[in-house]
Amino acid sequence: MTSPDGASLLDDPRFRQLLRRRGRLRWSLAGLLTAAYLAYSVAGVYASDLLGRNFMDSPVSWWIVIGYVLIVLSIALSLVYVRATRNLYASYRLGVSEVQR
Amino acid sequence: MSGGSNLTAIGVFAAFVAASLMITWWAARRTHSAGEFYTAGARIGGFQNGLALAGDFMSAATFLGLTGLVFIGGADAMLFTVGITVGWALMLFVLADRLRNLGRYTFADVVAYRLHPERVRILAAVGTLTVAIPYLVAQMVGAGALIQTLFGMSYLVAVMIVGTLMTVYVVFGGMLATTWVQVIKAVFLLAGGTALLLLALGQFGFDIGRMVSLAAEAHPQRSIILQPGALYDDPISVLSIAIAFICGTAGLPHILMRFFTVPDAEQARRSIGYAVVFIGYFQGVVFVIGIAAIALLSGQTDYADEAGGIAGGANMVAIHLSHRVGGEVFFGIIAGVAFATILAVVAGILLSATAGVAHDIYARVVRRGDISDSNEVLVSRIATAVIAVTAIGISLLFRDLNIAVISTFVLAIAASVNFPAIFLAVFWKGLTTRGAIAGGVTGLIVVVTLSVLSPTIWVGVLGNETAIYPYAYPTLFSVLAAFAVTIAVSLVDRSERAEIDRAAYRLQLVRSETGP
Repeated sequence: MTSPDGASLLDDPRFRQLLRRRGRLRWSLAGLLTAAYLAYSVAGVYASDLLGRNFMDSPVSWWIVIGYVLIVLSIALSLVYVRATRNLYASYRLGVSEVQR
Repeated sequence: MSGGSNLTAIGVFAAFVAASLMITWWAARRTHSAGEFYTAGARIGGFQNGLALAGDFMSAATFLGLTGLVFIGGADAMLFTVGITVGWALMLFVLADRLRNLGRYTFADVVAYRLHPERVRILAAVGTLTVAIPYLVAQMVGAGALIQTLFGMSYLVAVMIVGTLMTVYVVFGGMLATTWVQVIKAVFLLAGGTALLLLALGQFGFDIGRMVSLAAEAHPQRSIILQPGALYDDPISVLSIAIAFICGTAGLPHILMRFFTVPDAEQARRSIGYAVVFIGYFQGVVFVIGIAAIALLSGQTDYADEAGGIAGGANMVAIHLSHRVGGEVFFGIIAGVAFATILAVVAGILLSATAGVAHDIYARVVRRGDISDSNEVLVSRIATAVIAVTAIGISLLFRDLNIAVISTFVLAIAASVNFPAIFLAVFWKGLTTRGAIAGGVTGLIVVVTLSVLSPTIWVGVLGNETAIYPYAYPTLFSVLAAFAVTIAVSLVDRSERAEIDRAAYRLQLVRSETGP
């Protein structure tokens, strides 16, 4: 898809919009997950007692429950990312083919 | 735990070896070009590649090592369990498709897309080999010790078996054989881990609360094991671990090489999406297995050594648990799966080291691309054999090597040397060749220096009284240093080459989105 002067595609507003949308999706998901994991890690040092308390009436601690929530969140966001990116490319290709017609 | 159990373990392992050799024979007939050798002709499907990626990462360290870590330190191991899954998801969001679109065989192709090709390939090859060789040796030393314990074989024979089989897979079957061996092993491991989880939970009537309560009563540190801080209680160590997973996963050459085995970026995203699901699931399973092991193995004399610790060390916890909950036959199955796991992982690492030497150094730097496809494959096969013999030799010479130290060291190097160059090459227009090299060298120097001065090596290995660098992991400082130097040197770089590097970013950006 990239010709020798392929960089000229950067002047195409539809391609620039694709880049913007992809960037927003990428950095928002990455930022959310990184912040959540770093917060969880540091909270383990500064709020150890609090996170060691029982989750509701079970003997399982909040620290373990939140850990599993983060694993599920990572999986869920990954599936969202794969699907959303596919849709972004599909809508970009549709726009390009409509213009060509 | 001998006799019958050994027969089952040998049976499972023999079945795996027979299947993997048949795959290698089949793959050898389809592996002729360099593209087929390094990346299976980029024809692997997203789902299969997802399983193979998960298999590449689910090594003995993440199965046996992490179960042992939970057994010793309790819930603090959650930092690793969560970090592994988060690291994979981040790699998907940030790098997966751009790397697939820019690269061909190795991550060096990506960094060399707009930077000085020969100079950055040397850096990338150093980054590849400093990760791959120690990782290979660590896995082989671990395999030798494991086989010795399980099958009563001598260490020499065990290392030779692993070394010979991994060489056969790679030399004859290349990436195609390595991928399918990895797929089978991943299925074995996911099924074996799930069976172990269910049998362990069955001991508590599938009541997780009861299991956790019993584990808290059985552990020497009591309920403290359910809260964070038992292993790491300072923010520097904790942040270093987090950064090692965030940056290190996306700097492992054998993982990155797998991005190029699928036809396009869409399949790359799908395959890593599947990998996140498999890895996240498996990490969740391993954590529960570790907690169950605390409840079921603590204080059990059958599984203790003379000093009262766990027989064979913490890495044997999952194996002992399989015997405790499933008897001799199930013990044999899990032991066989553990061995198959190591064998598949070393083949993947060996292939990445081969690509670093034969493709990045010989074909691209020494021959500057002036080499026929068939010659490159021949050189790759020779390089595979040489690297394998070297790794076998080191494993035999240094059989007392501390595997945990090396595994940590490997992830730290991947994060400090490879990741900054890859990340900035893809996302920062201002990166120059000089900046990338200066940052990579800085990362390597800082990570080696701090690792040697840390309690693990300075006190644990060298026998000094106090560590000069007081924290367990170096990554917080080494990654920051690598990024800072890369950016600073690139900013002040006024060379002619720097202009070329910056000017080529626009074309690279388009290609990274659209593919070749």
